[in-house]
Amino acid sequence: MTEFDAVYYDGRTSARKPVRVRGYTLVIQIVGEGLRLDVPLGQVRVDPPVGGTRRALHLPDGAQLQTDDHAAMETLFPRAHALEGWVHGLERRWPYALAALAVTAVFAWWSVVDGLPLAAKIVAGFVPVAWEAKLGEQTLGFFEGRLCRPSALGAARQQTLQQRFARLTAGLADGYSYRLLPRDCRGVGANAFALPGGTVVMTDALVKLAQSGDQISAVLAHEVGHVRHRHGLRMALQAAGLAALAAALFGDATSITSLATTLPVALLQSGYTRELETEADDYAFHRLREIGLSPKAFAEIMLLLEKDHKKRSGGDSKDYFSTHPATAKRIERALAAP
Amino acid sequence: MALPSTDREAAASVAGPEKHHRVEFTAGAGEYFRIWIVNLALTIVTLGIYSAWAKVRKRRYFHGHTRIDGESFEYRGNPVAILKGRLIAVALFALFYAIGHYAPLYIWAIYLVLLFVGPWLVVRSLAFNAYNTAYRNVRFAFSGTYRTCLGLVLGYGLLTLVTLGLGFPFLRRRLVQFAAESHSYGTTRFALAEGFKKPFVRPYFVVIGVSLLLGIALVVFFAGVGAVAGAKAKAGAGVPAWMPSAMIAGAVVFYALIFLQIAYIKARTVNAVWNHLSVGPVRFESVLRARDLIWLYFSNFVAVVLTIGLATPWAAVRSMRYRASKTTAIASGTLDGFAQAEAQRVNVAGEEMADFFDIDIAL
Repeated sequence: MTEFDAVYYDGRTSARKPVRVRGYTLVIQIVGEGLRLDVPLGQVRVDPPVGGTRRALHLPDGAQLQTDDHAAMETLFPRAHALEGWVHGLERRWPYALAALAVTAVFAWWSVVDGLPLAAKIVAGFVPVAWEAKLGEQTLGFFEGRLCRPSALGAARQQTLQQRFARLTAGLADGYSYRLLPRDCRGVGANAFALPGGTVVMTDALVKLAQSGDQISAVLAHEVGHVRHRHGLRMALQAAGLAALAAALFGDATSITSLATTLPVALLQSGYTRELETEADDYAFHRLREIGLSPKAFAEIMLLLEKDHKKRSGGDSKDYFSTHPATAKRIERALAAP
Repeated sequence: MALPSTDREAAASVAGPEKHHRVEFTAGAGEYFRIWIVNLALTIVTLGIYSAWAKVRKRRYFHGHTRIDGESFEYRGNPVAILKGRLIAVALFALFYAIGHYAPLYIWAIYLVLLFVGPWLVVRSLAFNAYNTAYRNVRFAFSGTYRTCLGLVLGYGLLTLVTLGLGFPFLRRRLVQFAAESHSYGTTRFALAEGFKKPFVRPYFVVIGVSLLLGIALVVFFAGVGAVAGAKAKAGAGVPAWMPSAMIAGAVVFYALIFLQIAYIKARTVNAVWNHLSVGPVRFESVLRARDLIWLYFSNFVAVVLTIGLATPWAAVRSMRYRASKTTAIASGTLDGFAQAEAQRVNVAGEEMADFFDIDIAL
């Protein structure tokens, strides 16, 4: 027999009644002022334990017993809640908690370094190219007219550009409908970007900066690499994954504190960008060789871009959280490309 | 039951002397850390499925350690129901995220949908949480309807729009009033006295006034920095080296000010609501202080950053402990007289989605 003190609630009002409970093999007996109740043990449902919180015993007709006598609960209901009882055991001891910490840390590390990029790559593989093209259109619509206007370059020059692009994308047969849009985007300087689905935008400033047509081809090849490897889509998926991960790990505290997670997330994202840039570079080197051009052209245009960037920003271009891998390294890789 | 204070005193004298019950929060940071980290690890190992159980255990831990008059609160949410709600919520959230990221031109459509779905989520969420919270074996309940909530959001939303945001405090005030007055403990309705209105709205206007002044100061600061830098750049000297640091300093001040304002508004509005809230013979007293909250938020922020998140449970426990220590339930008579209401099941989907979209009209 197990005996313990409890508070009895009849389920109709909030009135509390201190009682003494005797637990037998098949029945519990509740005795208090003006109360004597026998309840078959089979009709009693006990809540699983959580930390040191009070235990509740649910009786028929919504009545309830509450008690702080955890030992008595263990004896009376030794096999209730196999799973949560086991979890409770883990939560009670520091060694298990530290093991849980190790599991969490390893998982978080792996997710950030390999898991999320891999998952994004796999998920991106399931997105139809047609969807991607639509997404690209949306993005284009966002800055067309706002940031960029149609190119101010001469018709002949534009045609040469299109020919270069056509040569790069000829016979790729990857389902993307490639298209080059020369644009005059004053605010962004010498630049080029790839949109999901195959549209590549190149600014007039970049065309003017380049000293040879091959250099332009090199940049375009890099952008084609972004398209083929679905970088736009993958970046978005990775960003979503990171946000979800951060929210799951640290979203527990007050909302202001969770602001603390946005900074690391931003930093990690720039790390992802660098990886994707390297991937696009590799594709560019490979493709340039394929159509009979040298990756050296890539090294040349990178050098020009860096100089241009330095001139425009007036200072050293080596910002700490640069989204592109350090230019020197990219140039080195271009020169060393097979 | 909007009793002016003299009437309230009269009522109290009839029912006997008032008894003050300080709200106690007895959780320990170490104990909660273990629950939190085991929750996380099991969620990872089970590929997220355990998260529903984790949520219930966390809620049960926090409710169970919150006590008034020696009796603790109880959370009764069902993990299986929560898991289902969570799956729906994740799917919808992914859809919305995708639209937001890829079709920014259609973002207005999301807002439109959210405008109509939001009130539904809020109502379902409040109903689910109320239904699954009990004290002394008597459940709470929420009887607010979607129609009322939508009407408030649309009406006061329009007011906010027309007044260029100045109507926002009134939108919040009306929503909080709706939330408070739609709650009941058993069969006893919560009542929010009229007097809460002024102290609830005032802090917003204090913040708006102060922000205007500071905003002007900041604009002048940035413009000054920009002008000096621009002049130097034109003179061929390039952008001066101190330029980025000055800009960063300005941004830090800006965010710090937002931080202060949030803490100030939170402290004042929470006090305003709780000091005018009553349920049957029980009324409440809340004496949160803005400077305490500022310190709390700031130290939590720093601790969470420095420990790469490991201080999260500690931060959560100490926030609750502070909140509890500043709240008192004042009862004229005993707490024995509340009657249980007829139970009505409440669907979980709304609450899970509200969780994901971070929709909250906290009291």
